[in-house]
Amino acid sequence: MALLEVKGLTTRVSGYTILDNLDFSVEENELRVLLGPNGAGKTTLIAMITGQFRPTAGKIHFAGQDITGWSPDAIFLAGISRKFQVPNMYETLSVYDNVMVSLQSDRKVFKYMFKGVTAAEDERIWEILDFVELAGKASDPADTLAHGERQWLEMGMLIASNPKLLLLDEPTTGMTPDGKQRTAALIQKIARNHTVLLVEHDMHLVRQIARKVTVLHQGQVLAEGALDEVVSNKTVREVYLGKGKRH
Amino acid sequence: MLLLGAAVVAVIGGFPVVAGTDSYILLLLGKFLCYAIFALSIDLIWGFTGILSLGQAVYFGIGAYFVALSLKINYALDHPTRYGNKFPDFMEWNGLKALPHFMEPLVSTPFAVACALIVPTALAFIFGVITFKRHIYGVYCAVITLAESLILQEFIIEYQAYTGGFNGITDYSNYLGIPFLWFMLAVTIAFFLIARVLTHSRIGTVLKSIRDNDLRAQFMGYNVANYRIFVFCVSAFMSAAAGAMYAAWVGIISYLDTGPVFSVEGVIWTAVGGRATLIGPFLGAFLVKGLEFLLSGVLAAFWQLLVGLLFIFVVLVMPDGIVGSIAHWLRRHRKGTLTQLREEQDLLAHDREHDWQPAGVPRSGEESV
Amino acid sequence: MTQALISQILIGVSVTAILVISAIGLAVIFGVAGVINMAHGQFIMVGAYTAAVIGKMGGNTFVAIPVSFVVVALLGLAVERGVIRWIYDRPLETLLATWGVGIILEVVMKLIFGPELYYVGAPKVLAGSVHLVGRLPYPYYRLFLIVVAILMVAATFYLIFRTDFGLKVRAVRRNRAMSGCLGIDTAKIDMMIFMFGSGLAGIAGAVLAPIKSVSTTMGFRYAVDSYMTIVLGGVGNLWGVPTGGGLIGEGETLLAYKFNSVIGELLVFIFIVIAIRVFPRGIFGYQERR
Repeated sequence: MALLEVKGLTTRVSGYTILDNLDFSVEENELRVLLGPNGAGKTTLIAMITGQFRPTAGKIHFAGQDITGWSPDAIFLAGISRKFQVPNMYETLSVYDNVMVSLQSDRKVFKYMFKGVTAAEDERIWEILDFVELAGKASDPADTLAHGERQWLEMGMLIASNPKLLLLDEPTTGMTPDGKQRTAALIQKIARNHTVLLVEHDMHLVRQIARKVTVLHQGQVLAEGALDEVVSNKTVREVYLGKGKRH
Repeated sequence: MLLLGAAVVAVIGGFPVVAGTDSYILLLLGKFLCYAIFALSIDLIWGFTGILSLGQAVYFGIGAYFVALSLKINYALDHPTRYGNKFPDFMEWNGLKALPHFMEPLVSTPFAVACALIVPTALAFIFGVITFKRHIYGVYCAVITLAESLILQEFIIEYQAYTGGFNGITDYSNYLGIPFLWFMLAVTIAFFLIARVLTHSRIGTVLKSIRDNDLRAQFMGYNVANYRIFVFCVSAFMSAAAGAMYAAWVGIISYLDTGPVFSVEGVIWTAVGGRATLIGPFLGAFLVKGLEFLLSGVLAAFWQLLVGLLFIFVVLVMPDGIVGSIAHWLRRHRKGTLTQLREEQDLLAHDREHDWQPAGVPRSGEESV
Repeated sequence: MTQALISQILIGVSVTAILVISAIGLAVIFGVAGVINMAHGQFIMVGAYTAAVIGKMGGNTFVAIPVSFVVVALLGLAVERGVIRWIYDRPLETLLATWGVGIILEVVMKLIFGPELYYVGAPKVLAGSVHLVGRLPYPYYRLFLIVVAILMVAATFYLIFRTDFGLKVRAVRRNRAMSGCLGIDTAKIDMMIFMFGSGLAGIAGAVLAPIKSVSTTMGFRYAVDSYMTIVLGGVGNLWGVPTGGGLIGEGETLLAYKFNSVIGELLVFIFIVIAIRVFPRGIFGYQERR
């Protein structure tokens, strides 16, 4: 059974249908790339999966549970971590604390109360900081980081929470070509032992890392399969890549 | 830091032993301790968690009223009113014939103290469940808490037969004296330590992360509402304890002690001292209240003007408060000297290589002009 | 019984009018410019004192309305330039700073006018009352307040939805950065809208002065009521003001008639808190798209 399974998902907001009876699934240990033109419903799909909005109709199953309509924190505890399009973190906390707060642990108020950071946890934090190459800035407040570093920190926070599924919503926006290269490498490294669903615009990057892609168009799945297969698909070329445009 | 804290405690605790107990300063000292706890309770929710409540005096006031009522009822038992009744005089003035039945349990002071602590905490819990569960905070929370404290004030004025109304509750035996001062000091230290543990443990980091970005915290699996409710209850408990001690210490309590003006005053003490620091609220409360005591005699009208300017000054010029600004300055200074040192060392190394004198230092034998 | 009830409802209408009059300026400042002006009550107070001065000089409410508008709009300009423009992005701190402004205004007015109360009479044309239902007199001035409330809401709607200036205001509200790129001076729009909202508070002071003695502390209550009106009605939608005002005004009047005014206020407060639970952004707020 697939790790994430979306069935008949429909979302309407004030008359507009954003997701239209969408069926979609992600297998365990997959690195799936979600493509689609602006307004295709990629970010909406992610918002639905993570419980930010409730779908108008349809079901979302994750790891054997029906998570439709759960609150964001409950869905997180079920094992889905989300990276936002715009880097989203705790601005005044240090880089170290940002990762520390994100560590997988019991989230209940009272269990958390007087717990310190154990040696094992500390080691894990440093491991993650090394992984995202921010160990040198561990004590800096997050708002002093550069844009690319913030994207990386947020990915480090996701890894810290040890999720079953990582949703990465355009993690390379606003990066330099070099930054994008390094981020692609990082995502591939993450994907070695995580299931990743990646929303990405940059075809160059997608070519580099994609194994299987899904193309959304007007709230529905237009095509799905290996990248080359999908890219050579005629309809996809028309709606997404632009008719006759060389790629 | 520890030494400084011990010194402050020793000064406050030792003061009445040296200066005697009938001094006006002693009264102020105890008052200030209550104010400081009140400011600390505001700092916990505002500075550390980002909830601005303009109605924290509600909890302070309810705590104070329970204790004052109990003390007053007990006082009346030994000091009959003009017509020989053994119940509080303000009730008699308002036409009551006897102590109302629902107030009878308050004869027991321990019971009243328990109420003074539990009722406000429970109220804060209910309020928190209603508002935070639906993600009502920020400006909405500020406005609702403001209205809440205004209504409590009007309630007290309207039901003056039970609350003393405009005049408040006065003339009861209070606990002004050295032992109670030490007790308050002990409570203050305890609350300070609790706040310290709370803010420096992991839950503190979680609270700060909620303050910085509640959306991210929620998508990281934290039930943000529960954390807010928890810290709101802790804060209400501290306020209530401060109010209860205040009533017992000062011996007079009025509707003003539950009002929005007092609430906002607490916020500004915290802001002046430095929010999201633990020393800030103490410093702010002692400083602003101390200044008020020093200046309001001479410049009654201008003191309020000064308070108004203080609000604007703190927000525009010193948003981190005194403690925060000092910490910033220290950090920058330390960093500054470090980089300076490193630069100087580099320069020296460079100089040694080329056998030059450091820049800015005149060579020997040369006149510096 | 029915007659008494109807007359209570009519009183509720005039209470609503008072709420709308005092809240509309705040709705503009809070809803459109996004500024929490805690000195709003004191702005109303300054408007009322202006009316009192006009009254001393022989003018009546009709003269006071434009003068108060100008005086308080200029006061708003000063506050915006001096304080608020530095902290537009920090709403909770704006709240504290404007609280300070409110204190300063109270002290300054007390220094100028002294601690005594001022009374402003209603214009002669509006003296007396009409018998709408049964024997209960309904003062003309209350009818006048209802008309003023309607006119103030209409004028605000006209300004926001029918003028070039309003178009710019709405553009800035929707997308500040984009509006800036399109050549709209967003800082100037903020300033103008703050002035306009302050001016409305001035008018509120001028027309409310005859129904209440004018004192330096008169404003605070109006400010809190205004905030509750807006929070209930919904921030950012001007329809929220009459709606919130109507619910609070009628609710408080009828409940005060049934119990007493404090119980009425308490029940209305509880109602508001529950209503916000149901509509977290106010009754009209849900139309806001994020």
